[in-house]
Amino acid sequence: MSDKRTGNPWKVKMSTASLVLIPAAIGINYVGKLFASMLKLPLWLDSIGTCLSACLAGPIVGALSGLLTNVIYGLTMDPISTVYGLTQAGIGIAVGLMAWYGKVNKLPGIIVTGLLAGLVAVCISTPLNMIFWGGSTGNVWGDAVFAAMGSQGFLASLVDEIIVDLPDKIVVLLLTAGIYKVLPKSLVTLYQAKDESLD
Amino acid sequence: MKSISLYEEKHSFLNGLSPETKLLYVIVAIAVPVILGGRIPFFAFIAMSITLLAGSGVLRNTKTIVAVSGFILITVVIIQTFFRGGTFTELFRIGPLVARKEGFEYSLGIVLNVLNIIFCFCVFVLTTKPSDMMQEMVKHGISPRLGYVFVSLFQIIPQMTEHTSTITDAQRSRGMETEGSLATRIKAFLPLISPVIMNSFTDTRERSIALEVRGFSSTSKKSFLEDFVPSSADSGMRIALIVLFCASVAFTVLRVMGVIAWLR
Repeated sequence: MSDKRTGNPWKVKMSTASLVLIPAAIGINYVGKLFASMLKLPLWLDSIGTCLSACLAGPIVGALSGLLTNVIYGLTMDPISTVYGLTQAGIGIAVGLMAWYGKVNKLPGIIVTGLLAGLVAVCISTPLNMIFWGGSTGNVWGDAVFAAMGSQGFLASLVDEIIVDLPDKIVVLLLTAGIYKVLPKSLVTLYQAKDESLD
Repeated sequence: MKSISLYEEKHSFLNGLSPETKLLYVIVAIAVPVILGGRIPFFAFIAMSITLLAGSGVLRNTKTIVAVSGFILITVVIIQTFFRGGTFTELFRIGPLVARKEGFEYSLGIVLNVLNIIFCFCVFVLTTKPSDMMQEMVKHGISPRLGYVFVSLFQIIPQMTEHTSTITDAQRSRGMETEGSLATRIKAFLPLISPVIMNSFTDTRERSIALEVRGFSSTSKKSFLEDFVPSSADSGMRIALIVLFCASVAFTVLRVMGVIAWLR
């Protein structure tokens, strides 16, 4: 997929194209979650948009897409999910950086990126789970393990989150990479054109 | 245009307050019970939020929000009551499961905290127009371009979710199965999501051109279409909230120093 890009990933000009990518990415996150619950899948699959936008336009757009996704969830469905915007922002940054340096290219790279995104998500989500929910995640599989481990303490909560997040993020990254490959070239170049000024 | 915003114009007391004041209420309502400790402050703020919401005629709109988090809360109570480790006092038994007093009390604390957050957030979310939130953000220095992104979300998401049923029907008519074993359902995910993604990216190109044509990147100062004028109660409410917050901090400090005893 994306080749290694040059320049500083943090200093990307916010073009209009990057800005309108954010609502699209958030919409994709939203619809992904909708389809996942419609098909009764045991995963969340609510960060495809975040990862896609991070691959296309870099870590900052990815982080913003992720953060705003949860702000919108918070304003329309579930107030507490607002704080998990931090998790999504972390995923956006991790995936954006990996893609920027051309690591999301072949299968091993994609899986490593998925693992990394999953670990970032675990590190940010677990303390939040502890603060707001006493450690559980709200996912059946993870919570079953959490209960089996005595439903208290940081370790049980950590395992609970790992069981859900790592497979979820790997699947998301595989989906993202697959979709990215078939995106029209005219769209990809919109974000990855070299910064050549015409003046 | 259809919007996913839960906001409803009722010309109520809460509608008249500025978004800033309501956000301050959210912060105070979450922080004060945590600072004070004990259960009573949580009950007090939940009751206050419910009263405010009922007074603004939007209490029934909280149903969906409470239902979403309520489901997770039920699982939390079950998990903590029956599986919490450590020493415990038995409450009752269901088969091999023992209900534990400590776990139940712990989960009650979580329930109270979450309900408090939900209701005070509802005070903000159900009575504030998204464009007013955006206006407030822009006035506080957030780029108007990001402000556009924020407001546009409330319309773009319903547009996209409307597509989902069309896509599901179209793929089913081609013979794709959306029910059955886990493998079947996983296989169905990609054909469902990819048309949404392709559609939305095509729209993205068109939207960015449409915006550019209308001078979206112009650096001249942006003005507001409607200016939000808060009601006369706004500044009073704000002062009351700040006083309440400072009082609770002072009270806790005095209590920790042992000057006053905690009334329970």
